[in-house]
Amino acid sequence: MGDEIFAAMRQSVIDGDAVAAAALAEKALADGVPPLDAIEIGFVPGLSYVGEQFGLGELFLPDMMLAARAMQKAIAILEPEMARQSATRKVVGRVVIGTVKGDIHEIGKNLVGMMLSTSGFEVHDLGVDVAPDRFVEAAREHDADIIGVSALLTTTMAGQRTVVQALEAAGMRPKVKVIVGGAPASESWAAEIGADGYSEDAIGAVALARKLLGTDAASA
Amino acid sequence: MDSRAPKAPDLHPARSPRYDRLTPADCARLHDASLSILERTGVRLHDEEAVERLHGAGARVGDDGRVFVPGPLVEWALSVAPRSLTLHARGGAPAIALDGDNAWFGPGSDCLRILDHRTGERRTATLQDVRDGLTVVDALPNMDFGMSMFLPSDVEPAMADRHQAAIMLERTTKPLVLVTYDVDAMLDAIAMAEAVAGGPEALRERPTIALYVNVTRGLVHNGDSLRKLLLLAERGLPALWIPVTSGGTTGPVTMAGNVALNNAGVLVGVVLAQLVREGTPVVVPGFGGDALDLRTMVDPYAEPDHRGMVPSLAHHYGLPMFSLAGGSDSKIVDQQAAADASLTMLVDALAGGHLIHDSGYLESGLTGSLAQLAICDEIAAWIRAAIGPVEITDETLALDLIDQLGPDGSFLEADHTLAHYRDRWYPTLIDRLGHSAWQARGATTLAERAAVRVDRILAEHRPTPLPEDAARAIAGILERAAAVPRSAPQP
Repeated sequence: MGDEIFAAMRQSVIDGDAVAAAALAEKALADGVPPLDAIEIGFVPGLSYVGEQFGLGELFLPDMMLAARAMQKAIAILEPEMARQSATRKVVGRVVIGTVKGDIHEIGKNLVGMMLSTSGFEVHDLGVDVAPDRFVEAAREHDADIIGVSALLTTTMAGQRTVVQALEAAGMRPKVKVIVGGAPASESWAAEIGADGYSEDAIGAVALARKLLGTDAASA
Repeated sequence: MDSRAPKAPDLHPARSPRYDRLTPADCARLHDASLSILERTGVRLHDEEAVERLHGAGARVGDDGRVFVPGPLVEWALSVAPRSLTLHARGGAPAIALDGDNAWFGPGSDCLRILDHRTGERRTATLQDVRDGLTVVDALPNMDFGMSMFLPSDVEPAMADRHQAAIMLERTTKPLVLVTYDVDAMLDAIAMAEAVAGGPEALRERPTIALYVNVTRGLVHNGDSLRKLLLLAERGLPALWIPVTSGGTTGPVTMAGNVALNNAGVLVGVVLAQLVREGTPVVVPGFGGDALDLRTMVDPYAEPDHRGMVPSLAHHYGLPMFSLAGGSDSKIVDQQAAADASLTMLVDALAGGHLIHDSGYLESGLTGSLAQLAICDEIAAWIRAAIGPVEITDETLALDLIDQLGPDGSFLEADHTLAHYRDRWYPTLIDRLGHSAWQARGATTLAERAAVRVDRILAEHRPTPLPEDAARAIAGILERAAAVPRSAPQP
């Protein structure tokens, strides 16, 4: 049962059609499709497809956002039944992100946050001009797997090292991974400051986060 | 480069009529929209003095600190802001006038990397690259002003901007656009320029520099930028007040809303500067309305959509402007780089973009190339020839000659031809050889010829050295600054 409805669910997310996605979620409930199946077999593959196509430069970021919105709409309808069945979706990982102290640039960091959350990560965005201790506190508070530290200026990028050091001092390394990004950062800079990885762009950040958590294969 | 004697600077070269992307009605509507944003949405200013000054002039300050600027205050500021700014060469001779339909070209600032024309390697930039870049700018005949081009990585980061300023003042006599991180660095850069100009008074009277103040976004102005603007206004030095609003992220994705929003922030700067000192020159953006490429997440430098819009608006205000053209989104010096540079520079020149920066930029502003800069210089020369006025006189009509030679005559040997053949434009990098001659000379590409030119300039061109006392003063400023502990995060 359900191949057809799963295909329709996938398509509704690809089309970014929240109305269709909601109707399919209602239909799944009426037909007795397990809500977790509807999400994992039906809707999620649609979002993965859109993410892949975005990564290839074929689709636009707003296509991702529309797809994520359609999926959220469907999940909201399925959630009460999921709760009744005590089924829970697995979170891919928990990520705390922010721009370093002294730096107020946010566009790149926001994109990374958006990409991670549409890819199934739980994202906590601390904003800009974030002190190292705030990163540590937030990592503790949210039981973070990864901390993403952004810096746009060569004068502020040293703050990325400070965050790594603060986490070390708090005894949270190497359990909590640190990834860095921003125009002056690089692979070798990440290695130099003892971070776990660098990505040039938001799409790469998702792949990097998955790799660090050993969940690359889960994206298909 | 030019073998002929340098001409006396022409501050208002004659040219063809301007291209306006927007109609006067379009501009009026955008202006009204900006005023409405300032009165209805307000602006967030992270500097108490700035808020106080606006408040004192009748702006309302909301409970959350937002400042709502009344339209009549903006209209007053626009009526007293100078319509023109002339930047001077070292020594104090007027060099470029930012007014009318003028178009002056120059490079950009702060590329993190250089595409090395010698090796083709893309690497982090160094102090020597800044020196080389300014030397090339000084030599190229169609680059009218200098910017730093590169952010050097081989110097303490918090001192990089001061070193750039020192090198720029040393390596070229052309007017300069300076960028600094914070207020202290700006004051040091100004002190260096004063040392070269012969004191604060001389620099104010005949400014050789303009300070580029980059503002967070249309309706959010960071404290450093505001303090820079207020200080520059107090000193009567020209500020480039440039808020940046990225369509789809920090402003509407639609161009009209994006420009209206950003322009609201521009107007706040004009008001503040005039409140501090009536008649302070403020240079407004001649670019804006751009959007992040939502497929690649790259901030493009050569998108066509908005081109010409903001220059129209600046002309509507009659204010001096700082435009953006000549940069490319290509990663290398290739066909796209030449097309991006040519098209953007042409439109901005047609639109009368005044101070047009970013020649030589590749990779959407992250990488700079001196070969690309040399190509932009040639493009600028081409454009100047293309928008120049057409002289129609008895001499150029040559009716007597036409009649004398008759329908079948040959004009090649005519004295008239020998007298005027030099009036036509001839390229110096663009190839017009016949095929066999081109092959005989190595079958080179434009990029290869440009790299050769850069090498030749670096080998041969010696910029006029600074007077010794000025050089000493600059060295002293650098030394004192290096001794001050900086607040940048320590590793």
